[in-house]
Amino acid sequence: MTLPASSTKSSELARIAAEAAGTSSASVRFAVIHGPANGNDGPLPMALEDPDPDKEDPDAFPTDFLHFSAAGLSVSTSTWPSAMSAFSGRVQIGLPEHTGRRDTFAYSGHAVPNPGFIHQSTRKVEVLITLGNTHWSPTYREALMQALIIEKLTGLAAERGAPVLHLHTPVAPVPQPHGSDRGDGSNEPLRDAVGPCLRFAIGMDPRMSGTRLDFETELAALAEEYGFGLKLDDQRFNRVRGEWFTIRGFDRERYRQARGRLFPEVPVLTPRRAMIASVVGPSRTGTTAAAVGALRARGIGVLAASISSMRKTTFINLVLPVDGAATSPFPQWSGGWLDALPRLEQCAGHRPAAADESDEGLIADWKVALSPAMRCTYPQSSKQTGATTTGRVPYPIWLWWQLPYRTVDTPALLAEVQAALQPHTQRCEVAYAQSRLCRGDVVRGRAKLIVMLSQEHRDHNAVQRLLTDATDAAQERLRERLPALGGIDAGKVRLRLSPRERWLTYAGISA
Amino acid sequence: MTVNLRGRSAVADRSAGDPLDHLRTLIQALPVPTAPMTFPSRDAALGLALMDLSFRLDHLPRLSEHLTLMDRGHMSRVISVDVDLDLISPRLRNTLVVPGEAAPGGGAAALWVPVSRYSRRDLAPVAIRDSSGEVVPRLTHRDANRVTAAAFVALLSMLINAHEDVAAPASPIHQLRHTHQRSRWLIEAAITELIMVGSPVGQRLHSPLDHAALAPRGEGRPGDSRSVRALALAGLDTLFPAEGGDHMMVPFARLLQLATRQYILVAQLGLDRPRRFLTWEAPLLPAQHRPAPLQTLAKNMLPVNREFVVEYETEIPRSVKAYHLTLEVRQEISVRRFLMSSNVDDEFVEVLAQDLESVAGRAEPLGGHHKLLELEMQGIASRLAELGRRRLIDLASYEAYLARLPIPVGLGSAPPHRELTSDEVIAALSEGDCSLEVLAAFCAHYAADGLQHLARTGLAGEALVNIADGLRAAQVGWDVTTDNDPREHGAHAHWRRPSVELSPQSTEPVRAFAYMALADEAPALIESITRMVAGLALMVLGIGTLLSGGLDWLYSSRVADDFVPEQPDAVVAVLLLVPGLLLARLALPSTRSVLGQLHKYQRSLAAASVVVTTALAIAIGTVRSDLEMTRLFQVALAVLIVILVCCLCEFYARRNHRSSSVPRSARVPRWLRDARRSTRRVVEPDDFFDARGEV
Repeated sequence: MTLPASSTKSSELARIAAEAAGTSSASVRFAVIHGPANGNDGPLPMALEDPDPDKEDPDAFPTDFLHFSAAGLSVSTSTWPSAMSAFSGRVQIGLPEHTGRRDTFAYSGHAVPNPGFIHQSTRKVEVLITLGNTHWSPTYREALMQALIIEKLTGLAAERGAPVLHLHTPVAPVPQPHGSDRGDGSNEPLRDAVGPCLRFAIGMDPRMSGTRLDFETELAALAEEYGFGLKLDDQRFNRVRGEWFTIRGFDRERYRQARGRLFPEVPVLTPRRAMIASVVGPSRTGTTAAAVGALRARGIGVLAASISSMRKTTFINLVLPVDGAATSPFPQWSGGWLDALPRLEQCAGHRPAAADESDEGLIADWKVALSPAMRCTYPQSSKQTGATTTGRVPYPIWLWWQLPYRTVDTPALLAEVQAALQPHTQRCEVAYAQSRLCRGDVVRGRAKLIVMLSQEHRDHNAVQRLLTDATDAAQERLRERLPALGGIDAGKVRLRLSPRERWLTYAGISA
Repeated sequence: MTVNLRGRSAVADRSAGDPLDHLRTLIQALPVPTAPMTFPSRDAALGLALMDLSFRLDHLPRLSEHLTLMDRGHMSRVISVDVDLDLISPRLRNTLVVPGEAAPGGGAAALWVPVSRYSRRDLAPVAIRDSSGEVVPRLTHRDANRVTAAAFVALLSMLINAHEDVAAPASPIHQLRHTHQRSRWLIEAAITELIMVGSPVGQRLHSPLDHAALAPRGEGRPGDSRSVRALALAGLDTLFPAEGGDHMMVPFARLLQLATRQYILVAQLGLDRPRRFLTWEAPLLPAQHRPAPLQTLAKNMLPVNREFVVEYETEIPRSVKAYHLTLEVRQEISVRRFLMSSNVDDEFVEVLAQDLESVAGRAEPLGGHHKLLELEMQGIASRLAELGRRRLIDLASYEAYLARLPIPVGLGSAPPHRELTSDEVIAALSEGDCSLEVLAAFCAHYAADGLQHLARTGLAGEALVNIADGLRAAQVGWDVTTDNDPREHGAHAHWRRPSVELSPQSTEPVRAFAYMALADEAPALIESITRMVAGLALMVLGIGTLLSGGLDWLYSSRVADDFVPEQPDAVVAVLLLVPGLLLARLALPSTRSVLGQLHKYQRSLAAASVVVTTALAIAIGTVRSDLEMTRLFQVALAVLIVILVCCLCEFYARRNHRSSSVPRSARVPRWLRDARRSTRRVVEPDDFFDARGEV
């Protein structure tokens, strides 16, 4: 055993421990809210109303926040440091609480963070997987295929001890660049807001380039086997997030064949109902593969997923399709992972052979929050399918911000952004948003909004100009509003809205 | 020679085997505690916060070191830092607040702020002063150790709580946490002892067990000390597994090692003035090694116009934005060359070299995925180009430095530029030629889109291994900062963190090394001595000529009859007094000082010339034969001329030193020596000072 000269990991460990001890937090308190994204009674409340507003809670503002919305279902997660240490096991979760909004439930709990989950010093390898080139409306079969791919991908990372930093699906697809589209990307085609794509990032020790290369090679081999498209983040110097290097294009025929071969009996229907499952526990490598693998072995596919670690606690949020033949209501529930599995199997409606239990030891004591089964919806149009005829296409807008902690919390900020975009848009939804408390007591976040412009245009350049104008105007408005809202020094507000991801400043967070 | 050991610690650690060896030894040796150690949670939080801040020191935007060479062998250092308390996050600040300390008048509270780390061996008292000259209170070593121990105990319990086995009843982790707490207390006691007492560098910990022959017993009963120790050790093994130890063991062991070998220098600073300037005198640095005696003898005995070369090595926290290194020497000494080099990009180069080797080793699997190989190659090319660009900027600043020296080393000494085509660049790189010229050409071709399909060129494959070797050999990760002090007896280098950090996540301290060549420049002693020797030679010539009545005695074998003077006393007096007076005019320094070292040879020349004239005077007083007297005068004049020639050799050697374009030091980056085509052998410095692990 040799001691490498590197002290980077040691100082990271010291930092994690100092932050954990500094806030007198033996644990992490979290709250998860599940519900329909856009019910009749407004969008999903992203934060719980404080039941006791008089109480002076120094940690009233969550340190980390995650919101994810897909297929008409939404999940919001917030974490706070907590002094509570006396609970058995590494994570506990309370009973579902009805929030008053239809089908919307909140679950709160505590988890022990894992200070050994060291990944700040790692090099992020980000991957964009393309699973189709039409608009996003996955079938049961595709959901299973997606679960299989998530399992394989995260399994590849877990074999190498690389932590999954984040995983999201569906995400905005990246248009194939043309030879002439170089430079700042101003000429690049506009992106769809949501497509059958999956984006995930793992952390690799930069000194273990062999491991990284093996991972990438196996990923490419996997792409070849199943026919999915593979893009890697551009590793060239001075390239930023949102710039991709295509390794393999999407092979529709091969993907279709693989899907048919692997899951011949699964119906090719789009699920009508779905439920959200949030699996929570201390961060460790290999947990996502274990969770998704166990579900897939039980014939449960994944419609949409948002996996992320906050405060060294992992939140695996999965949108699972509910079997079309099942008629029972499947109410909300919370409890241990092993107890949740039979319930989930029931929802899936079919039972293959019993799964291999060996992998599940990793997350056996994790907790699960299940939402009631809800109706799901899919976006009706995309640029590829609908733009040419109607021009009514949802476009993505990216948002990056940095604000001092305890001034404006993320849900309030997102509401402000939506309000600022209001004059230019017919509809504006938050597809995902994530914020973290970073060093120096600033909250940094990234979000993707999906907007429908109020003016309809078929012309690419006109739409581009409209989007740019809308974001510039909204950005100005926000810069004026925010200092008044949170009593912040205007010089400390940093915020950027852009129709292109690569034009955001690098935020250093995974989302 | 304390620093000596410190410098080799990395090597010693590698041979020590298990990094937690000392902890295990103490677990075996300490009495088993029957009650837990009590550390207030406040202490633990303070200790962790201090540890975190002291590793990064990112609240110090600027660091300055002022070096003074006391004599040969000792260097004193004054360290100044700018502290910005606003850079410490408010949450961490809450932890650092000094309890019960409010400024008079209910002002802002004060914080404990780590400002430096230094070795436990340097126990000279350190007094920190602020800009007004007032001494700033410090945390005592004992208190600092106590909170550090509390921090480690807290960290251990966090690691145990989050371990995956904590809920598995039969596992050692579960037992440590819930049922067999004495073993955990034992680990905690061992950590506390280790931090309080410290641990030796690179050797086994000496424990009472070395002196006792313990009777071998079996497994031991449950609850006896043997089983408690066994469980503690098993718990350590589970928490920090040796395989895949990169994950947990190495970071933890490294933290523990630093905590046991270094002290944190913690100052108490009021929050009312968040930006402060602090300064303190660091413990005196002894020189670390002397060059071989033969080499020193040669330098002192040959007319090489010796320079006194001092090398200094230190560590800068990576987050420091600006670092100033100033050197001051006596006014009589000139700083002929001053050069600083830091390994700020070394980690980046090492990662790049490993990438190159990995790609080369996986040519086959990557070959099937052409685009993947292209991505790797483009990533490598972009980084190579960036390195070439950076080092070219360094070289330009070095050339500018040479040109603005008091005696400039002009462009004439620089080798002519070659202009390379992209094929030539690729061919040169494939052979492992990573000289600056090639890298700069590569950078230009890359920026001009001349290298868009690298996977198809000859570069992909075994050539990559050559490039990796070439990069390492050329030390491309080391930058160069030059002197910008207009004074001759002082030097100043201003190092700035590059605006784009190439290894952004790293907190590894930057190693910086300074090369200083001290010399005796005009008006130099050698000039006075040359004049003196010439004067003495003329005097001997004059007396001889006067005695013989012509210049014949110089070359003819004929001896004048009346060469022996009538009144020798007068000649003797002249021969004794004149050199004495001349010698008295030369200020000869003490031999311990640096100036004494520089003047050693010249002093012997002066002494030799005086010896010659004195010997001649004695001869005049005693010898009565014309022949002998003539021969003696001839010999004396010849010796003086030889000495004069030696003096002229010194001038020639000085000219050589002045026109040398690259210091002959092994620590000057190879690429710089190659860029100036310096093929001369490197030489050991006269003094080497190592301050690593202190700042």
